[in-house]
Amino acid sequence: MATTITVNQTERSLISSEETPLLWVLRDELKLTGTKYGCGVAQCGACTVMLDGQPVRSCQVAIGDIAGSDVTTIEAVSGVEADAVRQAWVEMDVVQCGFCQSGQVVQAIGLLELNPEPTDGDIDTYMGGNVCRCATYVRVRKAIHRAAEILAA
Amino acid sequence: MQNTRALMACALVAGLLLAPAFAADDETVAYPAAGTVDGATGLEAWSRIYEVASHPRCANCHTGESDVPMWSGPSYGDEPRQHGMRIRAGESRIGAEHLTCSTCHSYSEIPQTVPHAAPRVGASWQLAPAEAHWFGKSSEFICAQLRDLERNDGRDYLALADHIGHDVILHWAWSPGVGREPAPYSLAEHIMDIHLWGAAGQPCPQD
Repeated sequence: MATTITVNQTERSLISSEETPLLWVLRDELKLTGTKYGCGVAQCGACTVMLDGQPVRSCQVAIGDIAGSDVTTIEAVSGVEADAVRQAWVEMDVVQCGFCQSGQVVQAIGLLELNPEPTDGDIDTYMGGNVCRCATYVRVRKAIHRAAEILAA
Repeated sequence: MQNTRALMACALVAGLLLAPAFAADDETVAYPAAGTVDGATGLEAWSRIYEVASHPRCANCHTGESDVPMWSGPSYGDEPRQHGMRIRAGESRIGAEHLTCSTCHSYSEIPQTVPHAAPRVGASWQLAPAEAHWFGKSSEFICAQLRDLERNDGRDYLALADHIGHDVILHWAWSPGVGREPAPYSLAEHIMDIHLWGAAGQPCPQD
């Protein structure tokens, strides 16, 4: 039986089998390639998406477990936190190669939704599972502080 | 011939007595009544319980006042180390104050078939309560803790056995997915050991 989920506010009936990771449904079946494959074992965070409002590693989520859920990918993140993160990311020129950045951005939005004024420690803890091979961590941290400023203004 | 028949009868009786003891369905298992097991047998059962409690599949998430899970065991090299990614479970023990365990450890009954992937189970992934500190602790320490109602959530041995039998996150220890060594013995054997230990009066090595 097909699994039905809502992806970026559109209901989708999926043909993939229930054990298929959400990541591959997004990329291969739905052609939403903004979400990246990094490791496939929840070690890098590149595949982070919002699942019912919470950041999750889509490589670890079997679609059979999320029937009826809401999924938001980097292509459709929205709201004041997303706007602030987007603006801050551009201002701080965070991105280098960019491969991890869709995961970093989704995770940062999740952080600011939970904690609109994070400390360095809060950021390091919440973002600790999002690996960047270009080591943009300092700029990520600065951009999250900047996004918090934008939210507070 | 009579001796052979007697031996066969004994074997059949023994088989009938023992086989249900390790059955997966605890409804069919006859557990010993309180006071019917001698101390030596109880201590032997405890030593097996400690093997389970101190195994990485269990102890890594029983880190006491520390809210940081551990990474240790055959696939992690010689030295135990803290869970990577700056993970902290917080007072909630599910990471709600920091980063929820469910970010990576999904709620799923679908077996994890990818080596090195995040463990998952059909329950919310979490650290054990701080009072249940097992990682790096001795047999004596854990034994005293498990028979102390103040530190084991008010559970007598029957309640402990029931808890282990019905809390599915604990069952993960025996089916941890590809690439991870399961806890020793089996879930059914472990529950039987809890009963043997309890029926013997919960003896500890330091007694």
